[in-house]
Amino acid sequence: MALPQAAAFLAASLTLAVSGAAALAEPPAAPSGPSGPATVVSPPKTISSGPEALDVSLSPECRVPGSKLYSLARLGAVKLALKEKRAVRVLTIGGSSAGLGAATTYPVKLETALERSLPDVDVVVESRGMQGEIASGAAERLRNLVAEVEPDLVIWQVGTHDALARVDADVFATALAETVQWIKGHEIDVVLVNPVYTASLAADEYYNSLVRKVQDVAAREGVPLVQRYEAMRYLSGLGQKGEGHLLGSQFRLNELGLRCMAEHVTRAITLSLLQTEPGAPAPVIVPPRDAAVKAASPPPSIFVRPGD
Amino acid sequence: MREPNAIDFWRGLALVTIFINHIPGNTFERYTYSQYGISDAAELFVFLAGWSIGIATRGRDGRPEPRLKTVLRLLSRTIEVYRAQITIMTLALAIIAGTALVLDNPLLLEWHNAGGFFADPIQTVVGFALLTHQLGFFNILPLYVVLIGIAPVFVLVARASRVAALGLSFGLYVASLVFEWNLPSWPGEGDWFFDPLCWQLLLVLGFVGEDLTRRSLRLRAWLRRLVPLGIAIVATGVILAVYDIRPDPVLAPEPRLFFTFDKTYLTPARLIHFLGVLLAFQTLYAVLAPRLGPVTGYLASLGRNSLAVFSIGSLLSLVGQLIRFRTGGGVFVDVSVVGSGLIALGFTAWFVEWRSRKPRPSLPQA
Repeated sequence: MALPQAAAFLAASLTLAVSGAAALAEPPAAPSGPSGPATVVSPPKTISSGPEALDVSLSPECRVPGSKLYSLARLGAVKLALKEKRAVRVLTIGGSSAGLGAATTYPVKLETALERSLPDVDVVVESRGMQGEIASGAAERLRNLVAEVEPDLVIWQVGTHDALARVDADVFATALAETVQWIKGHEIDVVLVNPVYTASLAADEYYNSLVRKVQDVAAREGVPLVQRYEAMRYLSGLGQKGEGHLLGSQFRLNELGLRCMAEHVTRAITLSLLQTEPGAPAPVIVPPRDAAVKAASPPPSIFVRPGD
Repeated sequence: MREPNAIDFWRGLALVTIFINHIPGNTFERYTYSQYGISDAAELFVFLAGWSIGIATRGRDGRPEPRLKTVLRLLSRTIEVYRAQITIMTLALAIIAGTALVLDNPLLLEWHNAGGFFADPIQTVVGFALLTHQLGFFNILPLYVVLIGIAPVFVLVARASRVAALGLSFGLYVASLVFEWNLPSWPGEGDWFFDPLCWQLLLVLGFVGEDLTRRSLRLRAWLRRLVPLGIAIVATGVILAVYDIRPDPVLAPEPRLFFTFDKTYLTPARLIHFLGVLLAFQTLYAVLAPRLGPVTGYLASLGRNSLAVFSIGSLLSLVGQLIRFRTGGGVFVDVSVVGSGLIALGFTAWFVEWRSRKPRPSLPQA
């Protein structure tokens, strides 16, 4: 058995024990009286198994160590919506969210995943494709979209179009920071999602610098970041030996990345909701509902390995 | 083949501008007039299409052609534009997918709205044929299909009363701004990038404008006196664009679209700016044409063959984008890409005219 698989299996079996313990530890008097159910989010379920800690609350094929998957920050507007017990309006923007109408696609998956993570909360996901570069017209277009949709949270897959146009990385970062500030200035939360990882761009200095810029802006502006790039790079290391000769061998990884994105984004959001201001009461934490179910089977690798 | 004229010249310039602006990030982008105003080449292109309909649906003596002929002419043009859109979209998707395969780079699949097609072809191919799934930069022709498709209504109403046609058009425009009417995108969410219910106003303005200025010397003299107003509007546009001064759409009062700068809805600021551009530059062609030498002939030839040139231009700008991405861009690449593109556009215009001049081979006997 390959090492990552073994590690994941170990992690999966450990989850059973941990989630059982967490269930026992759950306070019986959760504040769910007349004021309605409290915000319920699950904690980062990471299990140390070797050098990397996998986040086992994710589907087996999407499991990535938390450190590679996200950086967290407060989400004030979403918290406020939860507190006011109204539906959370989410606007997702980005290349692959456009034109996907099938039941299994990203916006639908995202809505389902968010609603599962935040029980008793109605999440309304509006998705929009967007053309153009942040450094030129797209920033303006995004503002118009935000004005139209009036979301509590914008989930923004950013950087692809600017990368394709080879927009100067600093110009891109400035425009991105300005737009993020503008969104936050209107008391709307932002989660950034950086562009995909693919082997042919792994050594492209410009591309990597653009990915880093998204990271920098997220850190500087204090917004959560979903590291799609890092997550996919991690997943790509798990199993595609001997496929280099196939035409479009990177496409399967890309598909996996797309499939996992809703989960990864949801994870970053639910964990970001746990980030509290000093002095504020922490939300009630329960184990993920389906952790036990997921953990019952060892995580299969979706990659077919020749000669495996 | 007609001699160079102002309409073809400006339309040629709009085509060159669109070609360059559709290779985002290239060196020449900052020298196009779109960077120095609120409106851009799209407005000019649609307005001149309306103007051309005015010319095309009338005889040389200015008398309108029979109604049925006008309706059939516009229907035939609608089909032509639809066919062009389907063809270039097919080729664009193939170019994107082919390049992604060859470079083993799925990032390219996320090219401006193309991702939907590759992720969900079953639904998207339907939206593709219905024109409700549009790629970025390939969304002008769907607007055209709708505009020319509904043009017979406005043309025929205008024959009875120009005021009625303008009123109908303006009413639809205002209602669309107030109620945010637009055609839906499908599959996926959101709306068309160019809202035909708003943009129809420019087509009708072009069409009625052609009719009025042809008839009335007094109107022409009066418009000429408004050149300074046009220049003032253009100057304001330059300042707003250069300093990036725009209203915040979230803070705009209701009805929001009256106050924002939004290309999708051709919001009033864009419309006013464009009318200012028209006023300011109305006499410029007569000044420029003799001084530009072969450039005048080149731009007019593009304008005469606008559909073919636009279609080839769209594909060439996509190829240009991919070349820039692959090579990393830079001035040398940009000069080569834009330079060879402009030559190819000129060749396209020449080739279309050569084909129509060439006697057609007789059909083979069955």
